[in-house]
Order: sequence, then C-alpha cells, then structure tokens
Amino acid sequence: MLRNYFKIAFRTLLRNRVFSMINILGLGLGIAAFVFILEYVSLEKSVNQFHTHVDRMYRIMNVAPNGTSWGEVEPGWATLAQDRFPEIETYCRFADGIASGVVQKPDGGVSFKEEAIGYADGNFFEFFSFPLLKGDPTTLRQPNIVFLSESAATKYFPAASPLGQTLLLHNQFGKTTYTVGGVFEDMTEQSDIRYDMVCSLETLKNPTNTNGNDWVRLDNLDNQYINAFLLIKEKADHQALEAKLNALRQERSEENDGVVFRLQPATNIHLAASFDEPLQTTGNVRYVYMLAGIALLIVLIAWFNYINLSTANALKRANEVGVRKAIGATSSNLIAQFLGESLLTNALGFGLALILVSTLQPFFNDLIGKEVSLSILGSTSVWAYGVALLGVGSLLSGLYTAWILSRFKAIETLKGKTGSSRRGVWLRKGLVVGQFAISTCLILATIVIYSQLRHLQNGDLGINTEQLLVVSGPQIGKDSTFATRSNAFAYALEQQSFVQEYATSNSVPSRFYNFRTSGFTQPGSRPKDELKSYAFAIIGDRYLNTYGLSLKAGRNFTPEETAVDWNDNSKVLLNERAVAEFGFSSPEVAVRTKIKWDERYLDVIGVVADYHHTNLKNAVDPIIFYPQKSTVYYSIRLTTGQMSEKVASLEKLYKASFPGNPFDYFFMDESYQKAYYEEQQYGKLFTTAALLAIFIACLGLFGLATFTVEARTKEIGVRKVLGASVGSVVVLLSKDFLKLVVGAIIISLPVAAYFLHQWLQDFPYRIHMEWWIFAIAAFLAIFIASFTVGYQAVKAGLMNPVDSLRSE
Amino acid sequence: MIQLQTIAKHYPAGFGKVYVLRNITLDVKEGEFVSIMGPSGSGKSTLLHILGLLEEPSEGEYLFLDEPVQKLSEKKRTDLHRHHIGFVFQAYHLIDELTVYENIETPLLYKGVSSSERKSRVAELLDRFNMVAKKDLFPSQLSGGQQQLVGVARAIVHNPKVIFADEPTGNLHSEQADEIMELFQKLNKEDKVTIIQVTHSEKNAGYGHRTIRLKDGWMA
Ligand SMILES: Nc1ncnc2c1ncn2[C@@H]1O[C@H](COP(=O)(O)OP(=O)(O)O)[C@@H](O)[C@H]1O
Ligand SMILES: [Mg+2]
Repeated sequence: MLRNYFKIAFRTLLRNRVFSMINILGLGLGIAAFVFILEYVSLEKSVNQFHTHVDRMYRIMNVAPNGTSWGEVEPGWATLAQDRFPEIETYCRFADGIASGVVQKPDGGVSFKEEAIGYADGNFFEFFSFPLLKGDPTTLRQPNIVFLSESAATKYFPAASPLGQTLLLHNQFGKTTYTVGGVFEDMTEQSDIRYDMVCSLETLKNPTNTNGNDWVRLDNLDNQYINAFLLIKEKADHQALEAKLNALRQERSEENDGVVFRLQPATNIHLAASFDEPLQTTGNVRYVYMLAGIALLIVLIAWFNYINLSTANALKRANEVGVRKAIGATSSNLIAQFLGESLLTNALGFGLALILVSTLQPFFNDLIGKEVSLSILGSTSVWAYGVALLGVGSLLSGLYTAWILSRFKAIETLKGKTGSSRRGVWLRKGLVVGQFAISTCLILATIVIYSQLRHLQNGDLGINTEQLLVVSGPQIGKDSTFATRSNAFAYALEQQSFVQEYATSNSVPSRFYNFRTSGFTQPGSRPKDELKSYAFAIIGDRYLNTYGLSLKAGRNFTPEETAVDWNDNSKVLLNERAVAEFGFSSPEVAVRTKIKWDERYLDVIGVVADYHHTNLKNAVDPIIFYPQKSTVYYSIRLTTGQMSEKVASLEKLYKASFPGNPFDYFFMDESYQKAYYEEQQYGKLFTTAALLAIFIACLGLFGLATFTVEARTKEIGVRKVLGASVGSVVVLLSKDFLKLVVGAIIISLPVAAYFLHQWLQDFPYRIHMEWWIFAIAAFLAIFIASFTVGYQAVKAGLMNPVDSLRSE
Repeated sequence: MIQLQTIAKHYPAGFGKVYVLRNITLDVKEGEFVSIMGPSGSGKSTLLHILGLLEEPSEGEYLFLDEPVQKLSEKKRTDLHRHHIGFVFQAYHLIDELTVYENIETPLLYKGVSSSERKSRVAELLDRFNMVAKKDLFPSQLSGGQQQLVGVARAIVHNPKVIFADEPTGNLHSEQADEIMELFQKLNKEDKVTIIQVTHSEKNAGYGHRTIRLKDGWMA
C-alpha cells in the first residue's frame, strides 16, 4: 500500500511538472536558507560551551549605576575572593588589549604587529579547554613564557620546532623576552577568547618587565584591565557568592563610583539567556533569534506555496478521490496517500536544499562574515529543533492539503460538481496575503537598513578624514636614541611636499579613547557629578589642526605644554559635550574655570567643537583632551593622487627612523567604515532574505495565476469573442491577486515600521522613515507581483479564443 | 439481496425542495441482471448511486444484504464497498497516474489482500480480458473500449456480489459495447454476479433479465 502511495505520488509530481518544480524549488530554497541559518545559530549557541567545566564558570562583571557593564575588573579581587570564599575552587585571569605590540625574532629577524596577545594566569590551559598540541600546560606558571597558536608558531618558526625558542615582545611594558612553552590549536570562532599568543601573567610580577607601569600590579584594586573567571564548586550558590563579592568590594574598594559586581555565567557570555538581560555579551541574542525568525518565515512561504498550489489543484484530484472512495478507500487511506505526496515533495525539496547548501556555503559564509559548515550542527542540540520544525511544518502543510483533498464526497465528484473548487479559497487568499506581508516587511527592512547605513557612512563626522593616513608608531628600539629618532621622523614628515599636515596622538578618531574615568567636579557641580564618566584622548599640539577641528573658545596646546610630564600637567581641552556635562553655561565660562580631578586642579584652556570620535553609531561623548608628546599614532594628511608611491616613501622614512618596526597603517575614512560592519551585514542579510522571500512568494503566485488562467480559459475565450481587449483580460485576471498584495502591504507596513522604528532608536544619528520609503516598498511589492501574474494574464489575453472554445 | 421500500430522494431548491425520485419500491434477488432505463434527468443515476451506497435516500427504507443501510457507519459502508460492491462508470474513471495493472489491483489493496493473492488475481483477470500485453500502459494510452474493459476488471477484481454500472457503454462504439455486454452476461451467468445497469439502449437492456423504467423520478 505504501509503495502504491509513493508510486502515485511520484507520478503525480511528474505529471504536474510546473507545480512540482515550483514547490520543490521553493522548498529547496526555503529549507536551504533555514539550514544555513541553523548553522549560524548553532555556531552562536556553541560559542564558549566547549570548556569542560563551563557550567561552573563565571565571569566577574562590573556594572555601573547607569546599567552599562564591562568585563574588565581590577586584578586583585580574584585572589582576595579565593582566599576568603571556599566556594571558589579556582580562578583564572587574562588581559587583552594591554599586551598588543610588535613581536620580533631575537636575531633581529622578522617582526609583526600582533593584536591578539593576552597575558594569562598560569593555569589558563588547565582552567579552559583549549587543546594543546605541544608542551606542558603548567609551564605557563613561570614568568617569561609564551604559548603560541599553531599558525603563529608556523609564522615565526616555519622550519624549526618552536618549543624552547625565544621571541621579543615590544609593547607598553618595554621589551621583554619570552620562551615558547607550548603550542595550542588555533582558537576558533567557537570561542570568544581568540589569542594567537598567550604570555604568562607571572611575567608582569617582576617590576623590570613593566616599564614603570605601576597600574598593572596584580594585587591592585583600582585599575580595571583584566578579565577574571571563577570556577565555583559543585552545588555552590553563585548568587550568594555574588553578594559576598559585593560585600568585599564595599569593604576594600577605594573607588566611589557606585559600580557593583555581577557574576555572569560563562554559558551566557556570548548569548544572553534572555532578551532583556542587561549584562554585556560578546554576541547578540536578538540578532540570532531574529535571523532564526526570518529563516522560519522563508520556509513558511514555501509551505504556503505547497498548500496553495495543492488545494488549487484539488479540482483535478477530486475525480480520483471520488473513484477511490467508490472502490473502497476510507478518508484515512486518502489522507495517507496525499500526505505521502507532500512528504515526497518536502523530501525532494530537502534534497535540493542539501545540494544548495553544499554549493552555496562559501557565499553564505561571506554573507555572515563567519566560517560555518554543516558539521557545526553537531555541536549543539539546535539541529534537533530545526529538524523537528521542518518535520512538523511538512507534516502540517501536508495534513492540511490531504484533509482538504480527502474531504471530497465521492458522489459529488463523480457527478462532476464544480462547487468544491471554492474549498479552501479563503485560506488560500489568507496565505497569499501572509506571504506578501512577510516579503513586504523584508523589503521595507532592507530599504531602511540601507538608508541608515548610507546615512552613517556619509554622515558629517565633524572632522576632515580626506587623504588622512594613520601610521602606528614604533614599539621596537625605545632606547636612548629614540627621542632623537622620533624627532627626526617628525621633521622628515614636515619636509615632504606630499604631506599637508601631520599630528601625533595616543588616540585617533574611529578607534578607542585612551580610557574613560570619573571623579571630575567644578565649583558649580552638584552632588554625584563626580560619578559622571569622561573619555580621555591624549593628543599632541598638531591634532586639532590636522583633523580640522575648530575651537569654540580659548586656545590650543602649545608644543611646550605637550612636553610636560603626565603628573605635572595642569592644562586640558574639553569638547562642547564635556562643557555641557560639567554644567558650564558656555565655552567661555569653562575656559575661565578650573576643574578638579580627584585631588588635582586642571585649567580648561580651550573648548573644541564637537565631532564623532568613535563613529556615528554613538552620540558624541564628553571628551577631555590631555596633552602629551606622543609616538603612538602619526596622523598624516597627504596631497591627492599617487597614493601608493607616497605610502612607499613614508615607509622608507619610517624604516629609516625606526628600524625593525613593521610599517602598519590605515586610512581614516576606511577605518570609520569598519564601524558600520554590523549594519552592512544586516543590509546584505536582509537583502538576501527579502529576495528569497519575494522570489518564493512569486513562484507561488505564478502557480496560482497559471491555475486561474487554466480554469478560466473558456470564459476568456467567450469574452474575447464578445470583443474584450487584451488589456481588459489582463486586468480581469490580475486584479484579484493584486487586491491580495495590496492587502498584504496595508497589513505589513505598519508592523514592519514599528520594529524598524525600534531598531533606529539605537542610533543617536538616524534617518526618519519618510513616506517615500514606504512608497518604494509598496511599489516594489506591487510591481513584482504584477509582473508575475501579468505574464500569465497577458498570455491568456493574447490567446486565440477559438482554441479555447474548441477544447471543450 | 436488495430491497427498496418507498424510497424517495429530494434536493433543496430555493425555499422548497425538488424531488428526483419518488416512491421507489424495488426488489432485486441475488444473481439477477437488471437494466434501468429512462430519459435523461429521470433520476437513473441517482437511483443507482443510492443502490450503490454512494448517496443516501431522503425517505424510505433500503435493505442491502438484509441490513438496513441508513444506519450504517461510514466504516461499515466502506467495508461493503470493499467486499461486495463493484462500480463501472460511463466515463470509466480510471486513475490516470496508475497503469492498467495497478488500476485493477487498487481495490484489492484497499481490501487488504496479500500481495501474492493480488498478483494471481490480477493476472487471472488480465488473461481473461486479453490485456496481458497492455498491463503496463497508462489509461491515456488505451482506446475507450479497452479502458472500459479495465473498468470492468477493476469492478470485479475483488469478487463483489453486485456490480452497479452507470451507462457503461455510453461512450463506446456498438462493437465495443457488445463486448462489454457479453462480458456482463458471462459474469452474471458463470460467476453469479448480480448486475444492475443503467442504459439508454433497448438492445443493451435486453441483455438483462428485466428492465425498470423511470420517468420524472417515478417508476413506470
Ligand atoms: N446534488 C444535486 N442537487 C440538486 N439536484 C440534483 C443533484 N443531483 C442530481 N440532481 C438532479 O436530479 C435529477 C436527476 O439526475 P440524474 O439522477 O443524474 O438523472 P439521469 O441519470 O437519469 O440523467 C436531474 O434533474 C439533476 O439535475
Ligand atoms: Mg445519469
């Protein structure tokens, strides 16, 4: 019996080729999109979960009174806490960012700028489960040991065995020699910790290795720069521990910043457990679920096609149903049969999807900017939900159609009644509306996202980024001749005819501030004003000029002022936003007033016009500019044309003054664009989703139009004989469909607008959703739908009426 | 075997109802071959559908195999179709997606007959109707007469007690029609199958033992 059903199913698919193709293609595309997104969701869900004791691991987070949270804490807490609280089995700390610098082979050989370096506690490779390829994990407990990733090991030691070799690290802690103690497997995207090199934190305990950076002391309780993970004992209560940690903080901290500790489960560092979880995460749970939602919507559209086309086809099947009932089929026999057909169609769609997935995987990876493949599905149980969902969807769409088809009464169909063709017509209309509502939403989202992206990319930053090149300063060779050599480099820059302007600074626009801190007041401050946080940008005297920043009041730093020692300096600049934050009534008032930073008094010598130092996704921060003679970044504005030659000459100058250092540079405008990477990904993703959705929906519409034309062939023939024009036939056939599409637009636009409005609220600098955005979305939906239906309608309109009438 | 007692059938029409059959009382014994005749629209098909349990009478009582069928459940009814009733239609109503062999086999599938038994039974019929060579063809590849032969084979494959045939030769040439009629006669004589057929032709009606005439839903 089962074989019989499948035989019929197969032959029916073959007989109705067009409809089978539409169904299979739609399902194939829909399921492929679904599988791709399942891969992505699996990747996101699997991040950090591979550590053996991940369920018992917690990250100490700082939470400020305004709700912002961050994972960099003072290094002393973990040690103190372990001593006091027995529920802590062990802890592991590691610091990023502070380590980056230039790594060099000792023989004066190759050097590379390295960003992915961390200093980690000696138990790093025991605490976390990164597989070691070579070496003993406990070696990291010793000072001056570095563990390399497999690729870093081959980069520096392509021929020899890396173990026992030495490397020089030049960074803010000076020049330090490290011996390679181990090699670990490259850290993958399934980990939020992704280092190329892990140096022993123990190294920094020796003051000769810190270059006078006292803030790095491992027992200090006032400099937040390290990640601290706790492994708590089985059955220990992490909430109780959190309370104890905060009590400890109350007792020992000297900061009065209102910050509290939270323990974030390691399982939720990448994706929060819920949408409204306030703690900072490395991934974005909303984004992941939104993607999953879109995937589901696209498969839904494909299933709707199946339901619509099958029930529209019901008339053709009615006779078969009647005969089968007369020769002894029960309704359940027939349901089983039609369900078989739907499962076969779904299975074929699934097969096509697998082919699509295996061929299109690189495009998808490019689209999401991550490396995933089918094998990632094995790393979480997400796939099981996915398979269950696909199963339930195929089953429900199949059951519904089977039920519709099997309900035909033998007697009616044998008598050739046609009344039954109206069966399921309302649902069919509803589903078409649903499909186009989804498609229109996605179209609108695509338009809005791209408009916002354009807005960000072309928005006014308040600074001049044209032709502006930024070179990272040297790390190698900070010896007694360094000052002379850097002066020589600056002088050389000035001499070049192709250099319009240049500046030195420790922070450059589009990148990070040097730090943020609080504790500022002015005579007119109100209580708690000292809790307000300000961004610090350390700049040289040429910074304002080079970036085209104007002064609203006062004056710029003089070269002499930038040469004053950090602790002796008493002059700062504020931006307009900082002036407001301090509560000054005007830039002029600010310039006349001294501000107080903890125990120090500072003169505000000038007020800088506001500009977007980070990027246009953030509002302008209150910034305090602090003068220093810097060699961290050289910002250089070049004259137009012949860029590569000019960059090459710059490299020559740089190498002459700073031998052994890699020449690392970027263009300011490109660097700003990088900030909008996420929005670009959104844009690409929504475009793809929208295209897929509308394509699959149109496949279905095309199928329905074909049915309608088939069913009304005779009517059209008669009308044409009576003198109907092609146009009137086209209108006659199209208008019912277009009504549905218009209905879909009316339903979907407000819904989509609501969510997009919410999305835009995250941008302080955002577009307004003007009427024309909606108009374009509506127009596109109608245009594409008319085109789809129009093809069949015009074909019908142009047909020779005699043919249709003769076919009776 | 079949007893109709003052059967009537009406359909709703406008505010009232329109009678298609009235006051039909009929008795058909096992092994009979009965022809039903009457002008178009006189209710012949409706009567046949009621007899074949595809439609329910509005009034009166119907005993099939001495059982009142009004009270039968859907399942019981399907059971009767599977075991005791065969249909032959004017438009053949073969299943387009199935081959000759499979079309004939289908009632046995629904009846739950074992595969070996199915094979031998279908083979036997193909042989008897001289259609062995055509067993793998699809209905669209056959002439009308051949299609109706398959239709008859399908109607008798499960050894029903009675065959209902609604104008089985209506779409056929007279030669083909004769062939089908002779087949019916043979089935009736040799296999003792009860046959009730609707026909427009006096000649075909002549193959039966007696003829019932309908006019405007009344038995003449
Ligand atoms: N479901 C129905 N609803 C209303 N009228 C019907 C229905 N089925 C049949 N009829 C009417 O009943 C009458 C008899 O039909 P039918 O039994 O098919 O006649 P015959 O087979 O003798 O030509 C016809 O007038 C037909 O229109
Ligand atoms: Mg009739």
